Amino acid sequence: MKTSKQVLFLIQGLLLTTSLQCFAEEVENIEDDLIDSSLEDLLGMETELKADIGSRSGARNFLESRSPLDVITFDQIDRSGLTSLTDVLRYFVAGFNAPENSKTDGSDHVQTFTLRGMSPDQILVLVNGKRLHTSALLHVNTVIGRGSSHTDLNTIAVQSIEKIEILRDGAAAQYGSDAIAGVINIILKGVGHKNSISVSGGARAKGDGEQYDVNTFLSLPLKYEGFANLTLSMKGEGKTQRAGADRRLEIPEVKTHVGVPKSENFLATFNAEMPLRNDMVLYSHGLFDYRNSEASAFYRTPDPDRALSPEGFLPMINAEVIDYSITAGVNGEIGDGYFWDMSNIIGYNSSKVGIDNTMNYALGMDSPRSFAGGQLEFLQNTFNADLTKTVDSFDISGGFEYRYENYQIHKGDELSYVDKGAQGLSGFLPDNEADKNRHSYALYTDIVYNFNDDLSFEGAGRFEDYSDFGSTINGKLSMGYKVISELLLRASASTGFRAPSLAQSSYSQTVSGLLGPDGQILTKGIFTPDHVVSQALGAKPLKAETSKHITAGFVYQPINDMSFIVDYFFTAVDDRIMLSNDLEGTTEAQKAILAENGVAKARFFNNAVNTETQGVDVKFNYQYTFDNDSVLDFGTWFNYTQNKVTGFNEQHITRENSFAQIDRMENGQPKTALKFLTHYQFKPFDITLNLNRFGEYQQVTTGKAFKFDAAWTVDLDVSYQILDNMLIAVGGTNIFNETANKWKELDGVYYGTNGFLPYSQYAPFGYSGGYYYLRTTFEF
Amino acid sequence: MTKYGVLLMVLVFFSSGQLHAYQSEDKLKAAIIGKLAKFITWQTHNRDEFVITVLNNPFDDLLETLYKNKQIKKKPVKIKYINDIKELSATHILYIPHISQRELDTILGSIEGKNILTISDIRGFSQKKGMIQIYFVSQKVKLKINHDVSKNEDLKISSRLLRIATIVENEAE
Repeated sequence: MKTSKQVLFLIQGLLLTTSLQCFAEEVENIEDDLIDSSLEDLLGMETELKADIGSRSGARNFLESRSPLDVITFDQIDRSGLTSLTDVLRYFVAGFNAPENSKTDGSDHVQTFTLRGMSPDQILVLVNGKRLHTSALLHVNTVIGRGSSHTDLNTIAVQSIEKIEILRDGAAAQYGSDAIAGVINIILKGVGHKNSISVSGGARAKGDGEQYDVNTFLSLPLKYEGFANLTLSMKGEGKTQRAGADRRLEIPEVKTHVGVPKSENFLATFNAEMPLRNDMVLYSHGLFDYRNSEASAFYRTPDPDRALSPEGFLPMINAEVIDYSITAGVNGEIGDGYFWDMSNIIGYNSSKVGIDNTMNYALGMDSPRSFAGGQLEFLQNTFNADLTKTVDSFDISGGFEYRYENYQIHKGDELSYVDKGAQGLSGFLPDNEADKNRHSYALYTDIVYNFNDDLSFEGAGRFEDYSDFGSTINGKLSMGYKVISELLLRASASTGFRAPSLAQSSYSQTVSGLLGPDGQILTKGIFTPDHVVSQALGAKPLKAETSKHITAGFVYQPINDMSFIVDYFFTAVDDRIMLSNDLEGTTEAQKAILAENGVAKARFFNNAVNTETQGVDVKFNYQYTFDNDSVLDFGTWFNYTQNKVTGFNEQHITRENSFAQIDRMENGQPKTALKFLTHYQFKPFDITLNLNRFGEYQQVTTGKAFKFDAAWTVDLDVSYQILDNMLIAVGGTNIFNETANKWKELDGVYYGTNGFLPYSQYAPFGYSGGYYYLRTTFEF
Repeated sequence: MTKYGVLLMVLVFFSSGQLHAYQSEDKLKAAIIGKLAKFITWQTHNRDEFVITVLNNPFDDLLETLYKNKQIKKKPVKIKYINDIKELSATHILYIPHISQRELDTILGSIEGKNILTISDIRGFSQKKGMIQIYFVSQKVKLKINHDVSKNEDLKISSRLLRIATIVENEAE
């Protein structure tokens, strides 16, 4: 294994050397090349990669952007062999982290992700430039991204994607709330793509976690390069099992499930544009996902006194996720170069929870074995009207946005919450039910001043008023300066914000059935910040997180096919929203109010801390064509990110009393990430070989921080174009089956080297090991 | 491992190749405008120069740079820039950038019967009675040709060009 890896390192070094020697060669006159090329050659050339994100003044070469930008194309996505968007981003983007959550209730079913180690809800996700709604699920367990409700990236069929644009800069002054760590813009396939059917299947190195994906992309050409595209995808994943033996048993054996949950997904995406003869374009796109997934809670050990299932049982938590969004819009040109655009997008997410193979102890032999635990729903409607005009050297744009949001919690069936509720996950109580609305409107402008071909400035401003927490004004200034034609210096400074989500301000999840000192029944759990108990414990109405950003860097592009990019970034966030610890009250007055309300312990969201994030991204990309027409793409990406909690705003969150939470923010994710991405095309073969290094990380348990080593993984995909319209491929991610460290020097029954949770769930490449697959695509 | 690595690196260092070159869309369009001429036969233009006229020049000095001291159909290339169709004089090619539908109708109407090859990147250009449309799909340039219009204008397009382009028809009136 070690030798194989050394060979791979050697190959990567070789490819880098190839790149460098090619660079050393004399650069021919590109203009002469073009004129001397045949028309067929010209039609075969690749053009610059453009991105829409980062400025409202239209698509531009992403390497000439005033802010750090990355683009992942559908070719690259295809060659990754991956079928979920979260995995695709983890595969290509250094600093994008998406651990595999397990034993974390709802978080097992909606994968959390971060960029630069910041919160998942500090990333804005757009589809075709339009805001995508977030999931209804609020992550309240001890996962990376705890306290957030973010966009569920896995609701988008990857086969429907033309490219992914990633803006690595604060952009709330341009796009509004959430654009603090960055913006991900998913561009759906447009005109000119062939119909296709793809099938892939595989399994983990250990033989479990089998996956299949069957999808089809259908495109109907319309007049004037219009199109109506439809992508349908069915995919399924078997659970992986990485639990250790349960030493609570007389004879230890594996009882609990630890690993990726079993899931079934049906996804559909449509994207259509219908240009009219009068310069107007009608457009629409939509996403739909139905997901059913199943993960387990902790194993309930045998208990002879338990009337029902005395032999022990493993409660299973099922999630039924329904997610859709529909966008409809129209754009056109009026007068002398005034481009306008109006659109409306409705987004909806529902997460229904069921608990199976369990019981409610209080009901004894009469207990059902399955319960409906309740439902979370989130609805978002966003209307935008934009106007853009170029006047001399100025690209001027502005617009209006109105947004409506609704968040609902529905109780579970009565038996799921009475007394202590269903084992594994108690259903939502009637007291937890919520139906909260809010709306906001925004006015924004964005002006680009092109001083000349080499120097440009951009200023953006946005005023936004929310019905729940008030208004905010944010601004952004950026500049790009080509010192010489090969070297672009760029910098930006901005302010931003993230509105507290409706989930954070309306969510409550309590469990009853705790016996008080005087025999009374008490409850505990998460209460809304405006609940009388939370107020007594010091909760205040949630306000927006505010941020300040600086980026500075350069793009050196000595030739069209080579770029060297360095960007420094700094983001300070004040009033970050966190979930408090369980609080019981420290004063007599507080304790009295808790007792009056029958509450034993309470948690609530609050604007608890200030943080600083800084680091650097270093990228090198190169493409080279050999004399035999084979093409080599080589890219390296290094990311260093440091997150630091710099201030505490509330006495119930301090470094001492919230050590695990604070350490998760600062050290729970790798500070470094390194990727060597290589693609070699020698028709009819395509070979993709990636090397990834995930830096070390740590997790706190039992009040102590435990470190986990950095690791290298290798991904490989080899495809063969068997027919003009058909390819077959074999590949794998983490092909050498690198496994995350087990806990060191910790030997608990739960967490520990020999515990039934032997791995940290923060492991940045998961702990389920290598995955191998076969895939084929047929075009028609 | 080190000695094998050095050996392989040396081998690769002496291998040969060429630049792949990502082209800017404008540069590629500018090159294709002249390249298309090779596949077209004009019936009535017997000038000493090959004339390309560009309306509302979107290319800056790209065309001059590309076609400086170059020949098309064995004639020196002359680039003309106009801001109004009324300024149009005899030309082989007229390149039309993004303009409104109303302006496009006016321009195409005004040059009817003048044996001029029209090229544009306007969406739907070829279906709107333009001749050759340049457009981009996934970083590759594509061509659409309205063969009926070119025949009406007495322009002969080689079968080789017709093979690599998409042929479209006029939209229904």
